[in-house]
Amino acid sequence: MRIAVCRPQVPFAHGGAEIFTDTLVDELRARGHETDLVSMPFKWYPGTRVLTQAFLWRMLDLDEADGRRIDVVVATKFPSYLVRHGDKRVWLVHQFRQAYELDGTELGQFSDSPEDRALRRKVQELDRMALGEASHLFAISQNVASRLESSTGLTAEVLPHPPQQLDYRCQAYEDFVLSVNRLDRAKRIDLLIEAAARDSGLEIVIAGDGPDRERLERLARERGLDGRARFAGRVSETELADLYARCLAVYYAPIDEDYGMVPLEAFLAEKPVLTTTDAGGPLEIVSDHTTGLVVTPDAGEIAQALGWLREHRDEAASFGRAGNAVAREITWDRAIERLLA
Amino acid sequence: MRVAYFSPMPPEQTGIADYSALLLPELRKRLDVHVVRRGAKKRPRGMDVALYHVGNNPGAHAWIVDALRREPGVVVLHDFVLHHLVAGMTLARRDRDGYLDILEREHGVVGRLLAHGVIEKRIPSLWESRAADFPLATFVLEHATALVVHSRYVRDQARAAGFEGQITVVPHPAWPPPRAEPDRVSDGVVIGCFGVVNASKRIPALLRATAAVRREHPEVTLLLVGPTSPGFDLERRLQRLGLSGAGLVREGWVDELRLWRLMAGSDILVNLRHPTMGETSGSVIRGLSLGKPLVVSDVGWFAELSGDVALKIAPDDLEVDTLTAALELLATRRDVRDAMGIAAREVARRDHDVGRVAELYASALERAAGGDSVDDTVLRDVSGAAAGVGISANTAEAREIARRLAEVELG
Repeated sequence: MRIAVCRPQVPFAHGGAEIFTDTLVDELRARGHETDLVSMPFKWYPGTRVLTQAFLWRMLDLDEADGRRIDVVVATKFPSYLVRHGDKRVWLVHQFRQAYELDGTELGQFSDSPEDRALRRKVQELDRMALGEASHLFAISQNVASRLESSTGLTAEVLPHPPQQLDYRCQAYEDFVLSVNRLDRAKRIDLLIEAAARDSGLEIVIAGDGPDRERLERLARERGLDGRARFAGRVSETELADLYARCLAVYYAPIDEDYGMVPLEAFLAEKPVLTTTDAGGPLEIVSDHTTGLVVTPDAGEIAQALGWLREHRDEAASFGRAGNAVAREITWDRAIERLLA
Repeated sequence: MRVAYFSPMPPEQTGIADYSALLLPELRKRLDVHVVRRGAKKRPRGMDVALYHVGNNPGAHAWIVDALRREPGVVVLHDFVLHHLVAGMTLARRDRDGYLDILEREHGVVGRLLAHGVIEKRIPSLWESRAADFPLATFVLEHATALVVHSRYVRDQARAAGFEGQITVVPHPAWPPPRAEPDRVSDGVVIGCFGVVNASKRIPALLRATAAVRREHPEVTLLLVGPTSPGFDLERRLQRLGLSGAGLVREGWVDELRLWRLMAGSDILVNLRHPTMGETSGSVIRGLSLGKPLVVSDVGWFAELSGDVALKIAPDDLEVDTLTAALELLATRRDVRDAMGIAAREVARRDHDVGRVAELYASALERAAGGDSVDDTVLRDVSGAAAGVGISANTAEAREIARRLAEVELG
């Protein structure tokens, strides 16, 4: 098949969605499909820019390229699914969340003015129209599918995908707890820092970079964590695999995350995951006292849970192995077979 | 966003007052809603948008339409046929010219002549005899900036009447059934019919069909609840069909709780209507909440109910025969009743949930208040970019851009 994978691109940003789509292209090519990535810059502010940028996707002609038909278009996140094609398959990473569950929170973008309110509704209308015309509608997690259904009434088939390919292995259960994430407020790294402040035996390594880094580093200093909290910044794939291989457990507690590759990566390294009851997608694979621990989003509870894992390393290892079995069930072979069925 | 909310409110005894009482708590979770006191001439200051609930009853809605005609806004069109309202706002106010002008504007010289006939009492009042032929909705539509309607039927009627603005179809919200014991009026199968008893509710057809069903199934009882319209000879019809004794239980006006209990105690709910004024039925919505199998007329909003929850009867020459077959099927097949009941509850939960309804209202109001400004900005950006690369108006490229914008309802 000739397949175009569509992805909006925030210039200079590289996260889970970019890794997912890059890998999807590679995996489709590996299975003999002529595949290319179609990407366009995306800027969602100020004001109506979100709509004009979305409209660019509508103007694309992906029926054919260079005189040859494109059989399938796979769109992934807003606004790439506005593209027109007779066989548009949407593998939904997420909608434009500022127009939905993030509206009215500190992570929202639309004010209470009539123009901003109408703008938000226009985004919702675009979703209903563009997702409604897809020939197949998949979501990367139940959480994303549920949000879609409650916001648009559309039903998506849940189709998870494996995480990025790294040299996953389990070497040891050392004393440190690992956080792997872009450093922004929604990822709640501050809860981990506050937990470390309450448990002098807790060491943390924070991998990743982002706009919240300065605040988090300041918070760590203020809490006197020097030496017990290491900000590793953006690490290489080799370094990341090494951190996974050696950590005691992985902390992952974003607010209502779409899916979360980090728990799957942790599981592939046989490490348990600590998450919170409001984390969203991660709860689909992290089960309390089976593949990790699930607690309320409270620094005291998090400190207690991580302390328990430190004191119960056999259980920690057992949770990690159980998680490994879950992660190994999610393969590209299965995902692509369903995507192209 | 601040919304001026014009509606009859309890203790006024109208369906729309009950409707607003149900909707408002959920709507207030989403918007800053100010209910305008009855009789106010204008919206309060500082509002972003006004919402006007309009129905056909002049006693409940004339003041609201007066306010609408002073300041346009979003109209909830509960009925499409507004002739009775218009008559109440013109003839009842001794404004004969107003009535004549409206009839002429909507229906030409013939309309004006008919209006003269009504005024001079040479022909029966059109709002009672032929309202569906002369709906007079333009009286309201011309002042609406956007519409909220409860059915695709009314949406299509409004479009046909020339309304070009935004129309949002918002289902009628479902009341949660009260916790009360069902009131069963018979041990056998009970067919319940709730609402005003008159010819437009197809009561003559229902009586004849019930009598026919009872010939084979005397255990079936018809429960008729609601006041009888003046001039409707119910007693004589019952006697003629042998329904005056066994087989019929008659209740007049009942309070809300008793209404629910009697509905809950019915096995089948019948709600027929012809002609339709484009209205929805609170009884049908209650029936869905209760999980009752429904029999309705195949007209207007009723025709849009899923076949899983309602058997639909065309109001034609075969109406009595079709209705008889439908009632017989439901009276004798408990499995069918149960399946339709389960589907009805699901429809009430999925489509008529008051939270979902409030969300649709909020969307309609927010789009109405700020949508034009958003559209203008998008159009300016897109046309500016097009002009920047040399695409001028009335070229194939400009038409292509316009077509794509229309596809996604931008601009």
